[in-house]
Amino acid sequence: MNMNTNNNFYTVIYTTIVVVVVAAVLAFVSQSLKERQEANEKADTISQMLTAAQFGSKASFQKIGNSATIAKYLEEISEAYTVNAAGEKVAELPLDKVYSPKELKAQNRLIKNGGDVQIPVFVFKNGTTVLPIYGAGLWGPIWGYIAFDSDNSIIGAYFDHESETAGLGSRIKDDPEFQAQFKAQQPAFGESEIFAIVKGGAPKDASGADIVDNKIDAITGATMTSKGLDEAINAWLGAYSAHMKAQPNIVEE
Amino acid sequence: MNAKIKETLLNPIFKGNPITVLVLGICSSLAVTVTLKGALVMALSVMFVTGLSSVVLSILRNTIPSRVRIIVQLVVVAMMVILVDQILKSFEATYPIDKQLSVYISLIITNCIVMGRIEAFALGNKPFPSFLDGIANGAGYGLVLIVVAFFRELLGSGTLFGLQVLPSCYVTNNLVILPPFALILLGCIVWVQRSIQKDLQEK
Amino acid sequence: MEYLSLFVKSIFVDNMIFAYFLGMCSYLAVSKNVKTASGLGVAVMFVLLVTTPVNYLLNKYVLGPDALIDGVDLSFLSVIIFIAVIAAIVQIVEMVVEKFAPALYSALGIFLPLIAVNCAILGGSLFMQQKEFSGVGESCVYALGSGIGWFLAIVALAAIREKMAYSNVPAALKGLGITFITVGLMGMAFMTFMGISL
Repeated sequence: MNMNTNNNFYTVIYTTIVVVVVAAVLAFVSQSLKERQEANEKADTISQMLTAAQFGSKASFQKIGNSATIAKYLEEISEAYTVNAAGEKVAELPLDKVYSPKELKAQNRLIKNGGDVQIPVFVFKNGTTVLPIYGAGLWGPIWGYIAFDSDNSIIGAYFDHESETAGLGSRIKDDPEFQAQFKAQQPAFGESEIFAIVKGGAPKDASGADIVDNKIDAITGATMTSKGLDEAINAWLGAYSAHMKAQPNIVEE
Repeated sequence: MNAKIKETLLNPIFKGNPITVLVLGICSSLAVTVTLKGALVMALSVMFVTGLSSVVLSILRNTIPSRVRIIVQLVVVAMMVILVDQILKSFEATYPIDKQLSVYISLIITNCIVMGRIEAFALGNKPFPSFLDGIANGAGYGLVLIVVAFFRELLGSGTLFGLQVLPSCYVTNNLVILPPFALILLGCIVWVQRSIQKDLQEK
Repeated sequence: MEYLSLFVKSIFVDNMIFAYFLGMCSYLAVSKNVKTASGLGVAVMFVLLVTTPVNYLLNKYVLGPDALIDGVDLSFLSVIIFIAVIAAIVQIVEMVVEKFAPALYSALGIFLPLIAVNCAILGGSLFMQQKEFSGVGESCVYALGSGIGWFLAIVALAAIREKMAYSNVPAALKGLGITFITVGLMGMAFMTFMGISL
């Protein structure tokens, strides 16, 4: 084939064909695989929530597989509903409805712009409440779930990210010790600083042990990711403050 | 033919190492070398993508109009990486692997090594040698990555592949965890290499 | 003024080279002398300034959820579309440089087409997508700031390297080796800017 590859006409035709082929292939693959991908993502979100609520470790849910994980969730969940910024219930959600990071992103935008938020609350049969959070890390979005006891203290947390630095920012997801720091902490709902991830370490007591308050240590070398997580937690827990403060078991000091 | 294949395979490991000699693939070598596991995953992915895209573009090499050369190369590479990502996302068994890899996906598409080798080799050579060149450059890249990650993980966290190696009394060196230190390590690696291979030294 | 703080922030605090370490390959290879370095710096700045707003508009009106057709979210195509736009602009820049500045063209060598995969440029578009600017103007200011930051970084390094040519660097460390170490040290210095809110 002795085509003059510099020919204008040939160039245009070739480029058009390449673009069309690539777009068609990607669109076709993406559409046909979409359902499977969404199913995987949903099961993953559910396992994150269950891990935060201390029903097991992420690895254990990976082992039992997607259907068993979803079954466990349906077994333990009591109700799910959305609330607005004033803490009032807006709508009931079907029990198998969970929020994908994209849906959290949309709500995040509303929280930041002061719009009409409708953020989900997940309540389990054992009294645990799970709330999602979402925000911006260093390289991309970060999100996660924090589980609360009936007195509004944290019983566990799990976070995820799209593209934080492996070994540093990614530790919000991969480091169980980082997540364990959240246990027993008491966020100050309604205050201006509800929770803090402190660079250089949260204040410790005389023996060097962590104090039960609303502060935890940031990740060394991952200042920006820790800061992003801190902002995300404060923004979302701020939006949930009215609802959490109105919970029946809370005794005002 | 054997000698030529041997050279194509061995050159990128030392004498023509993409990172230390060709100065390609630097960005990712700073980002993923905090842990040995990350370095290994990235190295294997780059080997795979460079080898495969080199083959595809070598096959197409006589048909690509010179004016849109760059676009076609990039689009082909991006398409293959995205396809792999989409397929891995769809199956329950591979979904967790994909979640780990998604961090690296954009780093792989823009990895200068892939484009650099396509421009310098695949566009002027037959598919099979291009494949070898791609794999070999990926391996040379991987070698440097592993050396850097070894020191960064060992001195920065006291672990290797996540397993605690240094005793817990070792205070982890936080400077090592930061990207500038990776650059300093790379400088030392170049120093060592050029002391051994004096013909690489600049006048 | 918000534009001003965004501009200053993108040059120093969000510096493409020293904060995010993007665009390293060409940065290290083409910083031997100030003249070539400024040539590449201007090219990178130009490509950033053109591609970021174009990609912003594409992102807003074509790729976003419900942007083109209701119910269709094309954002999975964003990386590939951004790359295609960048590659097209770089191809044009390559042709212009070859025609009007042939000395610069041969000095830049393979690193001119490599601007297309310069992580700094794709990073500019991806960060722009993430930061969700409220208008094209903001994305232009961001692109200009990032470009100037990259330009300053490469010219600074080139100036240092030119001076180092007269120093007594050990033979095996000369050139690339000492450059790596220098950039590492500059990076450490720049960490002081990290996290500053303007």
